[in-house]
Amino acid sequence: MNITFNKRDPLYVQVIRYFKEQIATGAFEPGEEIPSRRELASKLKINPNTAQRAYKEMEEEGLIYTEGNNPSKVTKDIEKIASVRQEMIMEAVDAFVHAIRPINVSLDEVVGLIEAKLNEEQEGRK
Amino acid sequence: MIEVREITKRFGRKEVLKGVSFTAEKGEITCLIGVNGVGKTTVMNAIMNLTPIQSGEILIDGQKINKRSYEKIMFIPDAITMLPQMTIQQAMQFMDDFYESWNEKRAKELLDFFKLEEGNKISNLSKGNTAKINLLLGLALDVDYLLMDEPFSGIDIFSREQIADVFTSHLVEDRGVIITTHEINDIEHLIDKVVILNDGTVVKSFYTEEVREKEGKSVIDVLREVHLQ
Repeated sequence: MNITFNKRDPLYVQVIRYFKEQIATGAFEPGEEIPSRRELASKLKINPNTAQRAYKEMEEEGLIYTEGNNPSKVTKDIEKIASVRQEMIMEAVDAFVHAIRPINVSLDEVVGLIEAKLNEEQEGRK
Repeated sequence: MIEVREITKRFGRKEVLKGVSFTAEKGEITCLIGVNGVGKTTVMNAIMNLTPIQSGEILIDGQKINKRSYEKIMFIPDAITMLPQMTIQQAMQFMDDFYESWNEKRAKELLDFFKLEEGNKISNLSKGNTAKINLLLGLALDVDYLLMDEPFSGIDIFSREQIADVFTSHLVEDRGVIITTHEINDIEHLIDKVVILNDGTVVKSFYTEEVREKEGKSVIDVLREVHLQ
């Protein structure tokens, strides 16, 4: 677990974003145990109150759940996971559109470039 | 909670503290920050009643400081107060004899955490390791509040990292910590609250997450603004 924090966004928000990415990509599996707030604070070198805040928000959002005194786990709710994935994709698309708009490219050109780039990355992984 | 209310302190004609007020909660790490010579250590000494103040008051859990306060609070100065010829073990024994609240189990855990050997003489330790032992001797006490004067000052980066790691571990637990520093970089992510002292007054005090959330600023951004004013 490794997060490169920026110094200007709340840390708890950055922790939640990291968890969402891991959940959306399946790196954190449904029902998987997550570290305790203290372990998370130690691993990420952040204040335990901040780790606590992140967990509280994620619990409220239904990303993680806790039964009794057991360690918290990643949600098993498939729809929730799908919506997190959707949210991550939309965030990335928003950022992309925001970046590309001022350059004035046509939709066809952009789509072609995206396709080529994705293929290239996929080739690179093989 | 430690409440510092409008305290003033003069050394001769020099007014070092001109009405300093702030609070430090249990379960939180409060950082007193300011350039050198702004009175950070004087504030610590005032809380410990080591220096008389001219006016204002200091409350610990709602009580004015008194003899019993010292069972709740420990001051860790910026340099070790043990004799250099002592071994770590002897220094620990000294603390055990002197303080009822000495927690041997936590002391051993801290020793493990810092990877230090009890048999070593204090005079043979590096600066970084001396700082760790200094911290250990205070942290091992079962007190609710810990005051640490410049725990990161003058030591190498890896020792600083190790000391910073203590703050995120169970070894600090839910105690109230006040630390002074003039160097925020290493600990920006570890602290709950910042109290900026300048010229004998508190120019700003804020929660780090709040200033990031509401103003989109880092702790350094806020410090920079204060210094440029």
